[in-house]
Amino acid sequence: MTFQPVARPKVERGPVQRALLALLSDQPRHGYELRHLFEATLASHWELNSGQIYSSLERLARDGLVVEASIEKAGGPDRRLWAITDQGRAELLSWFRSAVPRDYRLRDELYVKLMLAIATRVEEPQEVVQVQRRELFRELHQHTAARNRCDPRGELPRILLLDSAIMHTEAELRWLDMVESRLQLLTQRPAPPLQPRPRGRPKKAAGDQPTAFSPATRRIEQSDGETG
Amino acid sequence: MPVLHTERLTKQFGSGSTAVTALNNVNISIEPGEFVAIMGPSGCGKSTLLHLLGGLDRATSGRVLLEGTDISRLDDGALSLLRRRKIGFVFQFFNLIPVLTAQENVALPLMLDGRQKEAVRLAREWLGRVGLAERAESRPEQLSGGEQQRVAIARALIADPAILLADEPTGNLDSRAADDLLQVLRRSADDWGRTVVMVTHDARMAAYADRIVFMRDGTIVDDAPLGPRATVDEIAERAGSGR
Repeated sequence: MTFQPVARPKVERGPVQRALLALLSDQPRHGYELRHLFEATLASHWELNSGQIYSSLERLARDGLVVEASIEKAGGPDRRLWAITDQGRAELLSWFRSAVPRDYRLRDELYVKLMLAIATRVEEPQEVVQVQRRELFRELHQHTAARNRCDPRGELPRILLLDSAIMHTEAELRWLDMVESRLQLLTQRPAPPLQPRPRGRPKKAAGDQPTAFSPATRRIEQSDGETG
Repeated sequence: MPVLHTERLTKQFGSGSTAVTALNNVNISIEPGEFVAIMGPSGCGKSTLLHLLGGLDRATSGRVLLEGTDISRLDDGALSLLRRRKIGFVFQFFNLIPVLTAQENVALPLMLDGRQKEAVRLAREWLGRVGLAERAESRPEQLSGGEQQRVAIARALIADPAILLADEPTGNLDSRAADDLLQVLRRSADDWGRTVVMVTHDARMAAYADRIVFMRDGTIVDDAPLGPRATVDEIAERAGSGR
């Protein structure tokens, strides 16, 4: 079988909706069954309350991905049976067959905080690094202890989840080490101009070609907008 | 009373214009039963600090107090004796004697101390505690890196020292063996009541400790607890159970 990656479903749905669709893929189920299966399958100590289950199912129903198969008398416990539709099945498949987006932290709050610390000195960048480092070590300690308490035979899914947290935390600590070792260089960058550029298209100087990588001579086209 | 305590500890290598200050007025206090990791970039002084804490080297100025005794005032003979009785060392490279079996390696410190009668029995016990009872007759070359390091820990603890000092103990191990080894170090503190001080550059290993001391350029720049601090009673209980 040749593997053909597929486009991710257009509508963004949270992991709960995705999970419920998947758990309905082999047979219709009641809400309480879905809750039990969700918690047992993920083994991540992620608990859902009925409110979350039913509001997710109702959303999926509104979007045509599931239907109610039968309803018991009103006033009794919620005995609705839910079933996946053909459209739901199609969307489920394209979710499984497309990659999960990772934005590699391009808008990461920590990065923003560090750059601003360097530019404005509201706090020393070194201090920002150390505060984050301490917290990451605390988390690494908790996750490692939790992981070592798991039974490797019975709790493998949970171990894998904790390993993910551990490895990502470790990667972030290594990144902080890199930032710290370059703080000298970072603080020596020319400071970004704190005065807004004058409005209006600046006069072009002869022979001065703008490029993306020459900040000193960069022209801002008016269409970019200058609101800061 | 802290089991280890330094006051304005300073170490300089060389002299005059080429002098290097490896430690600059370091003050640190470690309580019995704590598991402390010391971290920092290359050259920050962490290994120098560990060597001074263990009496493997002498300070240029300042004091190291081991269970209240100022070790900077001891002569070489007294220092040597104190080290043998109070401190166990584990280094990055296992330092086992290749022609001796695991059991003989572990027994060696007691044999050298004139305690031959108990040496074999205690060596077997400690090998059992680190999970290597069945490898007692193996030579180091027949053991994996992780197993060799566990033999090294058993050897470090056989003379029943209060303190275990480890300098990059997992530097030569793959990550699975490293985790196993840290769990033995954890047991040294939790189950056998030792104070463990470990120098490491590996964040994942440091995270096993109760406390991390961060160093840079010969000084301590931060000192952070990692988990809920054990109560004094818990630590005392641990210290009582292992001895």
